[in-house]
Amino acid sequence: MKYVIGRMPPVGAIFFLQFTMPLPVLATQGHGGIEGVYAHQMAHLFFIISMGVLIYWLRDRKLVAISGWRFIQYSGLFFILWNVDAYTVHYIEEQLDLLKIARQGPWLLEVRAPEGFGWLSRLYYVAKLDHLLSVPALVFMYLGLKRLLHEDSTAAGKVHP
Amino acid sequence: MIASSLPIWVVDVLGSICMIVLAFMCMRLANLLRRRDRNNIVWTYLFWVCTALAVFAVSRSAGHILKQLLIITGDAATWNRVRPYSGAVNTFTFVVVASFTLFFERTWNIYQQITNDKQDLQTAKDKLLYLNQNLENLVSERTAELALSEHKYRRIFEVSRDLILVAGKDGRIVDINPSGSEMLRVEDTEVQSRYLQSFFLEQSEWQSIADAIESKGFVANAEIDLKRSDGRRIRTLLSGSLDRGFPDKEDTIHFLIKDIEQRRLAEEQIAQADKLASIGQLSAGIAHEINNPLGIILGFTQLLIRHEDPQSEKYQDLKTIEKHVRNCKTIVEDLLNFARTSSPDENLIRIDTALDDVLKFIHQHGDHDRIEVVKNYDPEVPQMFLDEKKIKQVFMNLLLNARHAMGNEGRLSLCTEYNPEGRQVIIKIADSGYGIEKRNLSRIFDPFFTTKPTGEGTGLGLSVSYGIIKNHGGDITVDSEVGRGATFTIILPVVSPEKGRHHAEKHTDRR
Repeated sequence: MKYVIGRMPPVGAIFFLQFTMPLPVLATQGHGGIEGVYAHQMAHLFFIISMGVLIYWLRDRKLVAISGWRFIQYSGLFFILWNVDAYTVHYIEEQLDLLKIARQGPWLLEVRAPEGFGWLSRLYYVAKLDHLLSVPALVFMYLGLKRLLHEDSTAAGKVHP
Repeated sequence: MIASSLPIWVVDVLGSICMIVLAFMCMRLANLLRRRDRNNIVWTYLFWVCTALAVFAVSRSAGHILKQLLIITGDAATWNRVRPYSGAVNTFTFVVVASFTLFFERTWNIYQQITNDKQDLQTAKDKLLYLNQNLENLVSERTAELALSEHKYRRIFEVSRDLILVAGKDGRIVDINPSGSEMLRVEDTEVQSRYLQSFFLEQSEWQSIADAIESKGFVANAEIDLKRSDGRRIRTLLSGSLDRGFPDKEDTIHFLIKDIEQRRLAEEQIAQADKLASIGQLSAGIAHEINNPLGIILGFTQLLIRHEDPQSEKYQDLKTIEKHVRNCKTIVEDLLNFARTSSPDENLIRIDTALDDVLKFIHQHGDHDRIEVVKNYDPEVPQMFLDEKKIKQVFMNLLLNARHAMGNEGRLSLCTEYNPEGRQVIIKIADSGYGIEKRNLSRIFDPFFTTKPTGEGTGLGLSVSYGIIKNHGGDITVDSEVGRGATFTIILPVVSPEKGRHHAEKHTDRR
C-alpha cells in the first residue's frame, strides 16, 4: 500500500511528517516468513566458503607441512562437511516442504514422505546427527592448536610463502 | 517412517556439550599460544577465531540443549518462542567465525612482513652494535691496510726500473717516477710542466697512440723512439691505459715505458757478428781457391823474369804482372786474416809498448806535427799473451784510419784500462776527425766496404782487424757521430801463459 505525498516536497516538510505523522509507506521493510531461513542458509554457505579459502591458503603457503596447521586444515574440512549437512537439513525441513515430521511419543519420531521419497526420510534422519561432524571439527582444531603449542615456537615462522 | 528419536537426542545433547567443552579448550590453547608471544599476530588471530568458535558453540549448543529439554518436558510452546532468537544468534555467530577465518591470508602476510622486518632490524642492530664496539679497531685496521697498500704501490712506482708516468689525456705529465726522470734526463720539477709528446722523436706517433687510447682505452707494446733532453735517442716499448677515475676527476693515462735501447743494440751486434761470420766463411772459401792459382802465376812469372834482360820490355811487363799478383796475394791474405783461418803466433807482450811502436812507425812515415797525441795508459794492465804482429796490424789499421779521418790536424787519444773483475783489457783509440755516418756504422767491418776514394783503400783494414780481435777471443766496437770523431774500443781477455796456448788452439779449431 502506497501513499503519494505531493510532488517534490520540501526536505523540512518530509522530516516533519516523518517524525510527527508516521505513515506505513515510510516504515522499514518487514522480515517475516522465509527470510530468516535464507539468511541462515547464506550464513552456512559463507561459512563453507571461508573454510575453503582457509584450506586453500594453508596449502598454498605450504603450512600443511607442519602437523599443527595440517590438523587445522582437517578441522576446516569437517566444518565444511558439517555446514553441508546442516544446510541439507534446513533445506529439507524448511524449504523443500516434502516431509511431515511428527512426534509419536517421547522417544518416537514419525517422518512422512510422499510416495517414492522414502530415501529422503532416511537421509533426513542421518543428517540430523550433525554433531558427528561438528565435534570432530573441533577435535581437530584442538589437536592442531596443541601441536602448534608443543612444536618449536618458531616453526610457524620457518615456513615462508 | 517411524524411528526412535533417542539417537538424535543423545548425539544432539552430548555433541552440544562436547562442542562447548572443546571450543573452550581450543580457546585456552590459543590463549596460551598468544601469551607465549604477544607480538605474534598469527597467535592473536587464532585466539580470536577460537573465541568466535566458542561463542558460536555456546549459542548453538545451548539452544539445542534447551530445545531438547523443552521438547522432552512437553513445553514446545516455550521453545517456539525462544527459537527465533537462538537461530538469529546462530546465524550471527556463523558470520563472525567465517569473517574471522577469511582474514587468515592477510594476517599471515602481515606476520611474514613483521618477521622479515624484525630480522632485518635485528641484523642491522647487530651490525651497528658490532661497528659501535669495534669502530676504532676497524678504522685502525683499515688505515693500516690502506697505508700498507699505498706504501706497496708507492714502492713499485719509485723503485721500478721502467718509466712509470701519469699523464692527462692531452699528454700533460702529472707524475713520473725517478727512473722516468733518469731515463729522459730531466729534473722532477721540470718534468711536471712538460707534455709527454715533447719527448717523442716522431710527433705523429703520439697522435696514433692518443687515438688508440681514446678508441680502445689502451695501447700495448708500441715501439716508440724517445728523445732525451740531452738529444740522444732511446728506443722504448710503450704501454698505456686510460683511467676513467672518479666522476668529478679528470681522466688520466697511465704509461709504462721500457727502455729497450740496450737490448736493440745487443741484437744489432749479434746480427752484425752473424753477418760478419757468414762473410768470413765466404771469404775464406774464395781466398783458398784463389791463393793457389796466384802462387802458381807468381812462381812462373818469377821464373820467366830470371831469364830476361832487365832492360827489355818483356822484363818490365813481367814485373808488372808480378806486382799485381803480389797485390792480389796481399788481399787474399787479408781476407784469410779476416776469416781467422791462420792460428795466432802468441807471445807475452805489453799492449802499451805495441801501441807506442805502431805510433812511432807512423810518425816516421808521415807529417804528424799538428796532431796532438794524448796517452792514458793504465799501469795495472798486465802483460798479455797475444800475436804481436797481428795486434800491431790492428793498431796500425786503426791509427791510419784515425789519421786519415783527422787529416793533418786533430787530437788522437790512446787509452788502456784494466778491468780486474772481468779480467779484461780495454783499449780505446779515439780521434777528433769527421766521424762516421750513422748509416755506415753497421757496415764498417764488412770486407771491401770503404768510404775512401777508389784506389786509396781496399776496405779490408777494419775487416782484418775485426777478424784478428775475434781470433784473440776479444771484441771490437765503434762509437761515432758525424763531426765528433770516432772511438774504437777493443776488449781483450787477459789469459795466463799456460791457458793462452790452449786458448789460441781453441780459437784456431773454431775456424
